[in-house]
This record gives sequence, structure tokens and C-alpha cells, in this order.
Amino acid sequence: MNEQHPIRPSLLTTVAVCAALTLVATGCARGEDDAAAPASDGGGEGQAQVLDEAASGDETCSAADHGIEGFDLTDKKVGFSQSEAESNPFRITETQSIKDEAEERGVDLITSNAQSDFAQQISDVQDLMSQGAEVLIIAPLNSDGWKPVLDAAEADSVPIITVDRPINGTACADFVTFIGSDFVEQGRRAADQMIDTLGGEGEIAILLGAPGNNVTTDRTDGFVERIEAEAPDVEIVFEQSGDFTREGGQSVTEQLIQSEPDIDGIYAQNDEMGIGAVTALNGAGKEPGDVAIVTVDGTEAAVEHIVDGWISAVVESNPRFGPLAFEAAEAFGAGEEVGTNLIITDREYDAANAEEELSNAY
Amino acid sequence: MPTSPVLDTRGLTKRFPGVLALDGVDFALRPGEVHALVGENGAGKSTLIKVLTGVYRPDDGELWHHGEPARFTTPSHAQRAGIATIYQEVDLLPLLSVARNLYLGREPKRFGLIDFARMHHEAAETLRGYGVDVDVRRRLGSLSMGARQMVALARAVSAEARVVIMDEPTSSLEPREVETLFGVIEWLRGRGVAVVYVSHRLDELYRVCDRVTVLRDGRLVHTGAMADLSRLRLVSLMLGRDMERVEREGATTFSGEREAWAGTPALEAEGLTARHRLHDVSLTIRPGEVVGLGGLLGSGRTETAKAIAGALPLDSGSVSVVGTRLKRGASVPAAIRAGVSLLPEDRKHEGIVPGLSIRENIALAAMPRLSRFGLVSEKRVDEVVRVFMERLRVKAVSPHQKVEELSGGNQQKVLLARWLALAPKVLLLDEPTRGIDVGAKAEVQRLVDELAEEGLGVLLISSDLEELVEGADRVVVLKDGAVVGELEGAEVTEDALMAAIAQGPGGGDGR
Amino acid sequence: MRLDTLPRVDGERALHLLRDYGVYVGVTLIVLFNIAFTPHFLSLENFRTQAVQVAPVLIVALGMALVIATGGIDLSVGSVMALSAAVISLYLGYGPIVAVLIAIVVGALAGTINGVLVAFFGIQAIIATLAMMIGGRGLALVLLPQLDGIRSPGLRALGSGSFLGVPYLVWIAALLVVLVAFLVRRTVFGRRLVAVGGNRRAAELSGLPVRRVLLGVYALCGALAAVAGVLVTARLQAADPNSVGVLIELSAITAVVVGGTPLTGGRVRIAGTVAGAVLMQLLVATLIKHDLPPSWTQMAQTAVIIAAVYLARDRGRT
Repeated sequence: MNEQHPIRPSLLTTVAVCAALTLVATGCARGEDDAAAPASDGGGEGQAQVLDEAASGDETCSAADHGIEGFDLTDKKVGFSQSEAESNPFRITETQSIKDEAEERGVDLITSNAQSDFAQQISDVQDLMSQGAEVLIIAPLNSDGWKPVLDAAEADSVPIITVDRPINGTACADFVTFIGSDFVEQGRRAADQMIDTLGGEGEIAILLGAPGNNVTTDRTDGFVERIEAEAPDVEIVFEQSGDFTREGGQSVTEQLIQSEPDIDGIYAQNDEMGIGAVTALNGAGKEPGDVAIVTVDGTEAAVEHIVDGWISAVVESNPRFGPLAFEAAEAFGAGEEVGTNLIITDREYDAANAEEELSNAY
Repeated sequence: MPTSPVLDTRGLTKRFPGVLALDGVDFALRPGEVHALVGENGAGKSTLIKVLTGVYRPDDGELWHHGEPARFTTPSHAQRAGIATIYQEVDLLPLLSVARNLYLGREPKRFGLIDFARMHHEAAETLRGYGVDVDVRRRLGSLSMGARQMVALARAVSAEARVVIMDEPTSSLEPREVETLFGVIEWLRGRGVAVVYVSHRLDELYRVCDRVTVLRDGRLVHTGAMADLSRLRLVSLMLGRDMERVEREGATTFSGEREAWAGTPALEAEGLTARHRLHDVSLTIRPGEVVGLGGLLGSGRTETAKAIAGALPLDSGSVSVVGTRLKRGASVPAAIRAGVSLLPEDRKHEGIVPGLSIRENIALAAMPRLSRFGLVSEKRVDEVVRVFMERLRVKAVSPHQKVEELSGGNQQKVLLARWLALAPKVLLLDEPTRGIDVGAKAEVQRLVDELAEEGLGVLLISSDLEELVEGADRVVVLKDGAVVGELEGAEVTEDALMAAIAQGPGGGDGR
Repeated sequence: MRLDTLPRVDGERALHLLRDYGVYVGVTLIVLFNIAFTPHFLSLENFRTQAVQVAPVLIVALGMALVIATGGIDLSVGSVMALSAAVISLYLGYGPIVAVLIAIVVGALAGTINGVLVAFFGIQAIIATLAMMIGGRGLALVLLPQLDGIRSPGLRALGSGSFLGVPYLVWIAALLVVLVAFLVRRTVFGRRLVAVGGNRRAAELSGLPVRRVLLGVYALCGALAAVAGVLVTARLQAADPNSVGVLIELSAITAVVVGGTPLTGGRVRIAGTVAGAVLMQLLVATLIKHDLPPSWTQMAQTAVIIAAVYLARDRGRT
């Protein structure tokens, strides 16, 4: 019912304002340390993954078992589907590691990123195949819902290697192998570090990851199991979600400090929440070491906090899947037996090694 | 008629915070009668209707239905008991088809799905009985207001209705549609249905009603046969004034002749043309003159007013205010700055801002004059609000009362105050007395006179011929968006006006 | 009409009172509950923590209240915060003051785009701002692909320092509350935006510059969101365009609605909005302090929203 005159110049206005927005936002940007290199360059130099033979299981798969002819990886086009935006160190390093390894081996690589949209990832993988990918490396967003992709890959005899999260299906039939960390084990090792730091007694809090996420569940289960078994005097008095973000870790820790002023330790299920906790403790006037903090991931920022005394230990979750993934693909193509469940060993950083190992952090 | 009442109330009382809306009302409605319910706004008519239809629960007193005590707790409860209501404002769904609206909530079904074929067929048949001959698959919103009203009526009057309550049913109907409505009422009466008829139009009451109940200040002041009550007596009962005064002052409160001022015209509109709406409409209003704009619904009266006020884009034509020409395609703010004020027809949708107070509503348009550097001067606002509430006799608890809590007549006064606060040179009044009570109507008419005396140019649009004839010095008659006649001085009579409206090609279809 | 009878508080009136003042009752109840059952609740430190945490949501809610008063909605506030965070990080080389000013200008520009789409192109607010919500976050991530630590002492002081024992964040939030309340009560612009929300057609016919008012309101909402983005960044000591302000539009809308501003527009309650934000903050804090599962927090928030919307359901008509 708008009877006012349509105003023509408004289209121009919008375009102008949009342009102005972009210009102002980027125009003559000058960051805090323009001269210095970016804080994280993807960490391609860092420590490559090492297999944990004991955890990896005995089942193997070869090209013959899978019903595919052998091949020479250097002639093949490899497709990599990343699940989440490369906006956190883990994803950046993971993608970079795959790219670096492909370049090193002279393998043709095509990549896609689903930006945390599962439907997008499914179509991404189908696109990769239609672009001629003959080997797929997938970092899945979810474990379920892969049937259409698996069927298509089987029809085209494209072998699939999944990294960091598994796909639910039959190994060697639906996919070749899964390469990843054991998140439960990460939880156990974080518990060991916590028990060590506290000398076996104290009250601790857990900063949980995003609710409903399998990483959250696994890192909690392993931690709680180990604490209950090894240190009956360590009491978990507080478990709240910080959503894997720094801000979440900070807010929850601020509340924690008010309601449990005598807390002895904080287990943060990723580095970002741990760093948020450090900011909160700092803001509340605590000193480094007043509260023991143990985190999981192994980012450079977190390891730096070990050096300055705020964080006690960091359990690594190594994102450098490139070398292992390509090694597995090569061996599989050459007709060798490849393990179907390749669990990697994650390293640990603590006060003893943080300074010299800082360069390995990502 | 000795028949027992289908609905009656005994000592019905309803209080609202600060107001006793109904005060011990004994109202009886017999089968097969058309019962007029009259009173000024705020007299308690709406409250009584809402109690009868289960919207409100009474604080005291009893409601009897077919000789048994009844308690309607919700409107649907009352509906199931056979009481249908048609409200002044049609509350149907404009985006759905006519047929869907007619059968909403009781669609004929087949295999659990709506049986559209049957629904369309039956809807078309039903509506023809109400004089509406349209494609029932059209969206309701594309029908004229009158046709929509008929759909609402047809919807409410289902086979089970024993009581039909009509609240100002003719306020948006054309004469032809009014006749159809009266036919429907006649038919209902023949079937023994009781009709409660609420209207401000006295002619209609005397034409269709058998009995009449008059409410004033929440109390029942008279009930009896319509024919036994003279018009004058009825008006005096409603207003609570003595009869001689009403007789002396006439049915409208316009004074007689007045002299238009010489000099530059207050308004000169020339060749106003907007595609499909207006064709070369020209008119002039001198200061101190009231020019009436006559014509049927859809003849372009409202469009002309909006075009002058800058609210309707023009293809060609010009508007000058006191000799200064407005730029074509000028906006509402520009027209307002030049001194043009438009009181829109649709009070609810285009006039009041319901959530705001009386004070804020009055100050709305004049805000720039009541502020400095973007800051509102509360003192000046208070002053303006006080002056106009007094002058227009707005009845309210305080200036801070929500405007939506006021009666229609008082809302209209608030809107007039909004426009007068701008000290306009030209005042465009689109149906200023529609749907307001007799008292407020008289005051508005008197005000129009006063304003003209003060030198304002007034354009008066009204469907009420009596109002046009008595109120306007000159009447310009429109038809299909074009001027078809102009009456002046002694020519301005109801008969002449009817003749002017009726003449020319195209018949009286305002759709 | 007779006005001599005394007002009676009947059921309907009680409902009105509850819908207008229920939020204050809610805040009072939750404070009393915490005093009785939450250890260490009555400490200055605790109040400071709650005030600091509520400040950004409150500032966003102020802008949201204005937009909602016009009958619109702004889903893009979280993304505007992300833009603001990204811009600060990019421009910090010029010093914190310049960076903060540019961030606020960028927020206002983003809001202006929303306003142009809504006011001039007649696009529904929910669609226009949804587009900005997606596009704004995208642009923020292009500008700053990942979290960037802030070392500027000035900005860090803004996030953690205090004046007269009250954190800067709280001062700023309080100042903005006063300014917005003043804007709504005393300025022509404030009066007009409520009228536009109450009846847009009537406002147009009364000669109000409806489009300009809408444009201004969305721009202001964007600027306020950008201020919130600055404060969160300063407090976090890092610009995190990926997660800053995620879902804050829901918290802000909740605060506004719980505070008694109807979603249909035509009315705005600034004090109620403040109380609404405080209520939601205390609700979350209470559940965290008692270490209840996060799912409880979501359910409790839902319950409060449903209660508020239920009470408000008739507000448009009375």
C-alpha cells in the first residue's frame, strides 16, 4: 500500500554504500604488526604424524581386497574435501599439510571446503569426482550420511581415505582407511597431566566443547575415566560448555572463579577455551600457576602460554595428515596391505619441552 | 409480540478501570424482530454486544438465552449457541479466495481434503443470494469493500444463526448494496431470526427496525417500538438534550450561508491525472469556503484528496496553495509545509497510531515545529495538546491515555487536532463524520464551520448527502475519476446532488 | 463514560501489569534465589563479572529495541560485531582510537545497507538482515581469516580496566543506555521511530520522513553492534571473526521481548530491555554456577521466552 514515489537513485545508493563498506573495511588497512609474518602460516614445517602401532588395530586392506586395480599414485588426480572453514589453526594446518605433501610428490590435487555445511560437503565430493579425482581424501563433517558418495565412489572405483573423523561404513568396502587421533586417549593423557600437576588431589573444572559433538564426548570420557581410576582425591566439581571458542572459555571461567574461588585445575577440551580461561584468570588478578590448566590441540598460542607459566600442559591433536594419507594411498595403489584404522601418536607439551618444541606447534 | 425473548439480560453490569461501561441493563431481544441499538459512542453499545457474544464476561447481572441462564465464555461458545456477529471492520483474510473466506473453518470435505468444486459452486450460489455476483476464486482483497461486507455477512449468517448482530453494517456500502442488505435483513426476519442493528444513520433505523433500545452512559434510557419514537425524540434521548434545542439546531449543526473570502484561492488544483484513477480533475477552494466533493464509492474522491496532499503520484496536473505552486510529484512533507492537511478516510489504518498516547498522536505531524535541534520541547507540546483537546472537547482521562482506548468520535477529534496543530491553509476532510456518534458528529460539523469562518479553505468529502448539502458552499461531483458537475449556492440540494451523481454514462458501479 | 468509579484490579489488569513489569519481578526473584542458594553470590566481584558479561548483549539489545520498535528486526548484529572485530585488527596499526572509530563507521555502514534495503526497496527486514548476517560474517572472515591476538595496551585496558571500581565496559554500556533512552524520550527522531512502527501508513500521511527514520534506525543498530564488537574484542584480547557474536541476535531479541517491547512495533521500553538482558544473563549465570548441564540453560531460556511472548501476545491490540 505504499503510494510514495519509488526513488530511483536508491539502487545507486546501495551500490555506493556497499562499495564504501568494502573500501573502508580494507582500504588502507594497517594491522598491529604489518612487518612481521602472520602468526600462523599453516605450520608445514612442524612435526609430521607418527603412527601408534598398538592403537591402530590389525585389520588391513589392499587394492585386491577392495576390488580395485593397482595404480601409481603419481599419475592420479587426488581430491581433498575439507569440512570446516580454514579459520582455525587445526583446519589451516590440515589443509596446508595435504597441499604441501601433494606438491612434494608432484601429485595433481584439487580441493574444496564445505564451510561446516554437510549437504555442501556431499555435493563437494561429487564435484571433485566429476572433475576427475581418482583418489579421495575426505575430512568428514559428520560420520553418517555418506551413502550416496560411497556408492558413486564404488561405481567409479575411487578409493577413499578419511582423516580426523571417521565415516561410518565397512572398512575396505566403503573406504580404504581412517587416519586420525584417538580422542578418548587424548582425554586420558590430559587427565594424567592434570593428576601430575596437582600431585593427585584438588578440585577441578572441565570446559567442555560444543555439546553433542563426538570430540567433546570422547575427550570427556577418557578424562573422567582416568581421573576416577587413578586419582580418587581429584574431584570434578564443574562441567560447562565453552563451545570450543575463546570467548566461551573466558565467560564460563569468569563465572567459575566467582562460584568456586578455590578451584585448583581447569581442563579445557581445546586450546582456544584454555586461552580464554587464561584471560579470565588474568583479569581476576590470579598469577600464573595459581590454577593448573591442561588443554588439547597444540597450537602455537597455547604452547606459548606454557612458556609463560599460565598453562601446565597441552596434549597435541596433530592435524598434519598429508604425509600419512599420501603414504597410505601410495602403498594401497602399489598393492600393499594398508591398515584400515590408522591411529596417530599425539605429542605432549609441558614446561619441560615447551620452549624447544614451540616451533612444532601449529 | 408476546413471544418469549431469544436473548435477554437482567441488571447487566460491566466495569472497566475507571469506567462503568454497563450499568444494570435489561435488554430483551425477540425472535423475528429487527432491534435497533443506538447511543453515542461510549454509551455502552459495543460493550453490550461484546457481552452478548462472549467477548466480555459481565461483572454483575444475568444473561438469559432461550429462557435459560447462559454464560458465554468465548466468542466461539456464543457462535455455537447461534449468535452471529458482523463487525464494522471486516475481519476476513484478504489474500485467500472469496470461497475460502466464506467457508473458513467449515470447508466441505471429501476424503479429508477440501472439496473445491463443491465449495466454489455453493459459494457462488450463496453469494448470489446476497447480490454479490463474482468469481468466487478471486482473492477477497480484490473485491470492493461493500462486496467484502456481504461476504462477511454471508459467512456469519449460517443456517444455525438465531441472532445476528450487525455493527454499523452500511458504513462502507454503496446505496445499491444497502438495498441488498435490507433485503437480507427482511429475509432473516421472515425466518424468525432476531437482528440487532447498530447504526448512526437514522434513516436506516426507521426503514428496517421494529423496536429500538437507546443507551446512554452505560444505562438503558429507552426501549420501545421504533414507529412510536420521533426522530427528534430519539436524538434527544441519545444526546440527553432537550428536544426544543435539537429542533432549533437542526439535524446537522452547520450554520447557514457564509461569504467566501476574496483574494488568492487557498487551493488551486488543475488537471490532476493519475492513470486509472483520476482524469483531469480541477478544483479551486477560496479561503473561507467549504467545497464538498460528491460521488459514489470509487468515483475518485479519496484519490483527489490524496493527490492534493502529495500522497498519490500524479502523471500530470498541478497543485497551488495560496498562489504557490507545489512541485509535481511533491511529497506529503512538502504539501504539509505548504499548508495542506489531509484527514484520511481510514481512521484506523491511516490515521491513529494506536499504541501512542493522545498527546503523541496530536503532536505527531507538528513535531518539527515543536522542537529545536531535534529535541522535542515538552512545554510546547503540552501547550498545543492542551489547547486543541480543549477546543475540540476531546473526552479522555488524561492526555497520556492511549488513543486506542478512545471512542471513534474522540479518536477523530484527536486526528483533527493533529492537523489543526499544523495551522493549515487548506484542510482536506475525507469522511470526517463516518462511524462516529451523533454528539461528536455535531461537534465536528460545527468545527468545520468555525474553521471556514477563520479563513481556511476546506474540502469536505462525505457519503452523507445531508452533510454535503448543509455543510458545503459548493459541491464538485466526481464520477469514475473525473468531474461531472458542480453545484453552487441554491443549487446545492439533495435532489440536485443525486441527479448529478446519477447522470452520465457508466451507471453507479463503484467497484 | 464515567470515570468516578475506582479502578479495579481484575484478571485482565493483572495480566497487563505482569506483561509490563514481569521482567522486574523475574530479576528480583532470580536475585533472591541466588542470595539464598548460590555461594559467593553477594560479592562485588561477582556483580562486576555479571555486569561485564552482560554489557555487549545489552548494547546490541538497545539497537535491536529501536529496530523492533519500528516493526522490523535485525538478524545481522552478530555478523556486524564480527566485521567490527576484523576491522579493528586490520587498523590497529593506526592506534586503538582510529581502529575503534573505523570499526564503528563500518558497523554503521553495514546497518545503512540494511536500512536502504528495508526502507527504499521494501524488502522485509528479516530477509534483508539475514542477507547481511551471512554476507557480513563472510566479509569479516575474508578480511581476517582467523583469530588474531590483540596486543595494543590501550585496547586491552578498555577491555579489562576500570574507573572508580566500575569496569569501562559497564560505564560504556550505562552511558549508551542513557543516550538511547534520551533519544527515544526527548528527540523528534525517537518519537518518530515509534510512530513508524505503530502505524507506518499514518506516519507517511502525517508527513514523517519514514524512510529516513528507518535508515537511521538500522544504521544506529549497526553502529551499536559494532561498539559491542569492539568491547568483546577488547575483553577477549583477540579479534575472533569466526565466533564473535554468533547467535547474539537471539539473545538481544529475547532481552527486548522479555523487557516488554512488542515484536509488532509501535512501542519501546529501554529500561525493560536492560532488565531483560540482565534477567537472561543472571539465568545463565545461575545455571552455570550450580553446574547444571548446558541443555538446561537452553531450556530455561526457552521457558522465559515463551512466558514473555505469551504475556505479550495481545499487546498489539490491548
